[in-house]
Amino acid sequence: MRRTLTRIVIGLLALGLLTGPVAAQPKTLSLLTWNIPIYKEKIEGWIADFKKIHPDVTVEWFDKKGPEWGPFYQTQVVAGTAPDIIDTQGAIWLDYASNGGLVDLTPHLQRDAAVKDYYNPKFLQTWVYEGKNYMVPFYVSKTLLFYNKGMLKEAGIARPPQTFDELLDAARKMTKGEKSGFMTLNFDWLYWPLLAMNGVELLTPDLKKAAFNTPAAVKTVDALAKATADGTINKVAWTGRWVEPNNAFASGTVGLYQAHAPAFFYVRGGGPWINGDTLGATQMPGGFATPNSHGLGISKSSKHPELAWEFIKLATNEKWAYTFGKNFKLFTGTRVDGRLMDELQKEDPLAASVMKTQLEQVDKLVATWPLGKDAQVKEAFYSEFQAAVLGRKPAAAALAEAERKVNRLLAR
Amino acid sequence: MRPSRAASVHAALIAVSMVMLVPFYWVLKTSLTGENIFQYPPALLPRAIHPFYYVDVWYYIPFVRYLANSVIVSAIVVASNLVCNALAAYALTLRFRGQRAIIGLLLSCMLIPFQATIIPAYLITKELHLLNSHLGLALPLGSTIVCIFVFKASFDAIPRSLIDAARIDGLPEWRIIRHVMLPLSTSAVATTVILSFIWSWNSFLWPLIVIRNPELQTLPLGLSTFLSYMENTTGALYAFCIMVLVPGIALFLLEQRRFIEGLTSGATKG
Amino acid sequence: MRRARGTLLIWAFLAPSLTIFLLYRILPLLWNAALSVQTWSPFRPSKFAGLIHYEELLFHDEVFWTSLWNTVVFMSSSPIAIALALGLALLVDTRIRGRGVYRAIIFLSYPLMTVAVGIIWRWLYDEKVGLLNYVLLSLHLTQRRIAFLDSYEWAMPSVVVAAVWQIVGFFMVILLAGLQNIPPNLQEAAALDGASGVQRFRHITLPLLRPAIFLCLMIGIINSFTSFDLIYVMTGGGPNYATEVLITYIYRVAFVLSKFDYAAALTVVLFLFLLVLTWLANRVAGGEAGAVDAAE
Repeated sequence: MRRTLTRIVIGLLALGLLTGPVAAQPKTLSLLTWNIPIYKEKIEGWIADFKKIHPDVTVEWFDKKGPEWGPFYQTQVVAGTAPDIIDTQGAIWLDYASNGGLVDLTPHLQRDAAVKDYYNPKFLQTWVYEGKNYMVPFYVSKTLLFYNKGMLKEAGIARPPQTFDELLDAARKMTKGEKSGFMTLNFDWLYWPLLAMNGVELLTPDLKKAAFNTPAAVKTVDALAKATADGTINKVAWTGRWVEPNNAFASGTVGLYQAHAPAFFYVRGGGPWINGDTLGATQMPGGFATPNSHGLGISKSSKHPELAWEFIKLATNEKWAYTFGKNFKLFTGTRVDGRLMDELQKEDPLAASVMKTQLEQVDKLVATWPLGKDAQVKEAFYSEFQAAVLGRKPAAAALAEAERKVNRLLAR
Repeated sequence: MRPSRAASVHAALIAVSMVMLVPFYWVLKTSLTGENIFQYPPALLPRAIHPFYYVDVWYYIPFVRYLANSVIVSAIVVASNLVCNALAAYALTLRFRGQRAIIGLLLSCMLIPFQATIIPAYLITKELHLLNSHLGLALPLGSTIVCIFVFKASFDAIPRSLIDAARIDGLPEWRIIRHVMLPLSTSAVATTVILSFIWSWNSFLWPLIVIRNPELQTLPLGLSTFLSYMENTTGALYAFCIMVLVPGIALFLLEQRRFIEGLTSGATKG
Repeated sequence: MRRARGTLLIWAFLAPSLTIFLLYRILPLLWNAALSVQTWSPFRPSKFAGLIHYEELLFHDEVFWTSLWNTVVFMSSSPIAIALALGLALLVDTRIRGRGVYRAIIFLSYPLMTVAVGIIWRWLYDEKVGLLNYVLLSLHLTQRRIAFLDSYEWAMPSVVVAAVWQIVGFFMVILLAGLQNIPPNLQEAAALDGASGVQRFRHITLPLLRPAIFLCLMIGIINSFTSFDLIYVMTGGGPNYATEVLITYIYRVAFVLSKFDYAAALTVVLFLFLLVLTWLANRVAGGEAGAVDAAE
């Protein structure tokens, strides 16, 4: 028996060794994308096009889902083999940029002036840190207000809310039984418009100290806490991540939902009741919105930054940006968006009504502070904020504590 | 046993079984119907059964390749565990200087959480040139402290007379292990096989960072990719989980009998 | 010479396992220890920084203390699971038909991927649409729905229940094996001597089960690490750190907040904490940690 076992072990070891690493070829570029494996064919299209211009370069592609992207990328960075081109979501790029982990793209953009004009400057601006531009738009989105027309009608609400008080009021009217009036996504500062519309600022203009511990903020958080306690705001708004809030809205039990555009496609897939007559899309009161876009950038450790830049230009050029936008019905932050919007209007009016909000009011973007410690500040603030809205702590105490924590963070 | 006593035992066990099975029932039901589990009230009986999620799992991702990778890695892990742990356990049954220290060391090693070690583990695997390989995937799980102690317990229970007799007969140590110790430790072998298999089969974080080549992905990683195609359908997730679960259960059912055999026919201590 | 060869052989036998542990447990721990006294980011060179991270976590980080406490609470799931499993093992060990079936059913939970376990329990506990609330309301056991995972009071107990569910089958199998290892003639002799069922259990069964129970405890400790997946999927450490255990906190600090140096300090502290805990447990259990010198 042991002899057989030994043979098996040796056989497997041999098999294991046979599948060892392939020797690295000269001039390889690697691309890491964020949760778009479904786009495989088109990415292979990028690679094929790139090969025509640079036949001596091989491009490797990896794709990781959100929660796995971080550990994967960071391990690669530590090992010195970070992918050359990365696709990041939200503010994660700030962490890398502030630590010197990304290549400054400003000189490239200046050099290729035509390219610079091609990107929407309002969106390009969201990837600037300390005056340097670290990424270009890949696809852009921001928050909006979805509403369940049926529930609004039933509660006798004529139009979507225009102010914060109207919002809570409408939500209250729609709450009964399992139905709740309002819900929001809470990751990546997506809930911030609720505070922004009440005049709350996170930090002082020099980004050195907390500025949110104001009576207005206390009043707002207090109102949110009361609304959560009586069920007007679905608790999942503060405790859910991505799947739960979407599923809750898709099941038709929430009246108002603050989320960003990609949520629409998820929700439509899970909610057969959704159509042009039942779903509305509009801006949040005041037009405030948190962007949650994807950008493409180059890792500092890349051995071929110039080639990486070429690849990025190709991936976001008119042909491919248009293809991407068409495929996912999202906007790309480039000149192509106008055409995409026109065509979407004809082909999918409901999606168009949602996507319309993405291009409006782009000067009301909030929660775009270029903080190197964004992730930590976010965590420090949200932990206290969550405690307050879930009724664990009075709003005043929570905000004071958050102020203390944030100041401590920024001072170190 | 009196019938009434048997009846109450059965009743208790049936109650427990139902508690254990309810989540499974739901996983299975959702995988076959794909209902939105966020509906209320929850549907107790399945409607509209269809096997399409299982088909999707097969179709959307290279399920067979991932299965093969998982099988290869788990086979390496199980084989490695049997060899390394049996050897180490045998060494620990002998008296030698430093035995207690080694036991203490092993127990301490058990307290080091894996999530905190992945980056240095990655760097080490890189130095060994084992990144992106089945062996690299298997190596960190190649020996487990729990199983060493399981073997040791089993070996300790074997009467010294048998071992001494074998030694007098001139058998070298490794043959003693093979011909005397292992046959009398089938329950330890079964436990090692089951445990190391399950830990390797379900391992997700390590393959995530070690594998760059998509051809080498294991099943749990494949699950992740698969979910990206079927983002909001829990039915698909559950179909996948059921398919991943089947080998583990099958293995247990097979080993279950050997487990029992080993116990009832093992050398009983006096 | 024989003894020297013996010693060489012993170390040779230990070598494969020890090498793996050295490479994948000890060296990483040392890496963490070294990192914990530096300030370090993957992009910048490191600087020696003394004990500032330890100072931070001991005096300024309330999440650390919360997660430490939660870790202790979470580990209580092991003894609970062992006690339950012992009861189940005793039931299954009786001479009834279909033992094998019960055994297989109860074990079923362990090989299921933790991700699936986490998601299904998350749904079971859901305040609005979960099965548990539905059952509780239908049976009129409660008036209002209970927010299991979203409320600070219920979150940790709920997670513990899910963890116990996952592992009880496995413990039962181990204890069952231990029970069946007890020679029946010992029990019969004691019964003839007039010992009651309870007395037999306390003085014969339990002592002989010590190795099996110890094994379960060891697996329980390890499982409370692998249950990282369970907690992460079910609650992400929330709400408001109610279910944040040290290991989820370490993971978050390392990979979400990108503070590897701080995470390293936390890891060292976790290790030392567990070391002390195990040493204490060993003393309380009465000495030889191996517990594998069978009861004499």
